[in-house]
Amino acid sequence: MIDFHTHTPAWRTSSWLGGATFDAADFLAFMDGAGIERAVVLSHDGLFNPSPRANDELAAFVAADPDRLVGFGTVSPRHEDAPREAARMMDELGLRGMKLHPWLQGFSLQERTLDPICEVLVERGGTLLCHDGTPPYSTPAQIAALARRHPGLPVVLGHGGLHDCWREALEACRQTPNLYLCICGTPPYAARHIVQHGPADRILFGTDAGLSDQAEQHYAVARVAEIDGWGISADQRRAMLVDNPRRLLEGAAR
Amino acid sequence: MIIDAHVRVGRSREAALSVPDLLATMDRLSVDVACAAPDEAAIAYDNRRGNELTTGAAAASGGRVVAYAVANPWRGREAITELEWARDAGARALAVDSVLQGFDLLDGLVDPLLGFAADQRWPVYVRTGTPPNALPLTLALLAHRFPEVTFIMGRSGATDFWIDAAEALRSAPNLLGDTSYAPWDTLLSELGSDPAITPSRLVFATDQPYTVAASEVRRIRDWPIADHERDLVLGGTLRALVGL
Repeated sequence: MIDFHTHTPAWRTSSWLGGATFDAADFLAFMDGAGIERAVVLSHDGLFNPSPRANDELAAFVAADPDRLVGFGTVSPRHEDAPREAARMMDELGLRGMKLHPWLQGFSLQERTLDPICEVLVERGGTLLCHDGTPPYSTPAQIAALARRHPGLPVVLGHGGLHDCWREALEACRQTPNLYLCICGTPPYAARHIVQHGPADRILFGTDAGLSDQAEQHYAVARVAEIDGWGISADQRRAMLVDNPRRLLEGAAR
Repeated sequence: MIIDAHVRVGRSREAALSVPDLLATMDRLSVDVACAAPDEAAIAYDNRRGNELTTGAAAASGGRVVAYAVANPWRGREAITELEWARDAGARALAVDSVLQGFDLLDGLVDPLLGFAADQRWPVYVRTGTPPNALPLTLALLAHRFPEVTFIMGRSGATDFWIDAAEALRSAPNLLGDTSYAPWDTLLSELGSDPAITPSRLVFATDQPYTVAASEVRRIRDWPIADHERDLVLGGTLRALVGL
């Protein structure tokens, strides 16, 4: 299976969660234990301080096993160097896409400063994953509007709308061909409904691993195990965990 | 005694839970008692059907189901009459959902219902997590106005208002958090280790039918806390509040 939403440790920033220190070997051991073959890894420090250094350190983390760890970097969209950094992280660091977190990073998806950044990703076959599910700046419809401005860019709703916007996430995906939905922190009843009624080839799954205060990432392991209780078919499960993310990553930059 | 602080029975929009299925799941997971609110439509407008459903389930359960009463605050005096009916039918707590019922926690509409709950010594479940009118710190402000009422902060602000749930619990001593959706190795460990909160102010809830109930139980079993603390989470804190 492919986990489309995980994080490095926060090495240089703090949040209210305790977190844990772990290295790539620890993370690969967690993946082995949870049955995760590959993972999209997002910077943790970059959520709070989207700097080139955060991308450098993410790249070093995923370099431990590039066949299994796929890095998505980040930028500060209003920064004048953001398009240049987007190009650098793809061309020089070997990252495969970008993660944006509008409410942590403080911008609206309708700000046109995002457009040249998205164009860099499109030119390199990258993917954009965006935090979603929380107003005011991270609703699925807002992200879908950005996706429609860049129809050649695969855009992933990083949390499938969470608890309150999952119906909006589902409808936005139906109406936006380049929009993908990653079930990650989405409640189980919503996950089941999304899998059963959403676009079958654009549903992904993520654990959000990396935020635990234990290197073993217990909650992420539990989230994988919980899929057994969702009530979805084996074919739906395989599409979400294997076929869809593989297809998306194979189309992404290398 | 293991008490599930919140489930919803009946058929909601995308999920449903029948009373027989609830009882079967409780048996499978060794849950002794579940506090049951009715389905979404019954909370929003069809209050009598909902109160009949939950109090009927409680009456037939041999003590395994505790009924929440519901009444839309927009009904004014009729809402109190509805709660009186539910009380007489056996309800022992009040459930509020400001999103489904369409009001602001601080607009005063719900105050008469909270006054009724205070008179009955009922705990009050309030679902939280949805901005802008179902948030933990908003509930804390409401809890300050009704210090005699114990409020259960349903879903503890899941997910992006979990951090507010911590502050809400610190600021309002008559507020309890619930454990649904909350990983033990991120959120529960943070709340539980806070000396102003501790596990004694967190109550176990499966929030069926929206969850995988076994996962909700497993999370509390796996949480590395002392046995006496786990006993409080799994029912010790809630037991007296619902008259058990």
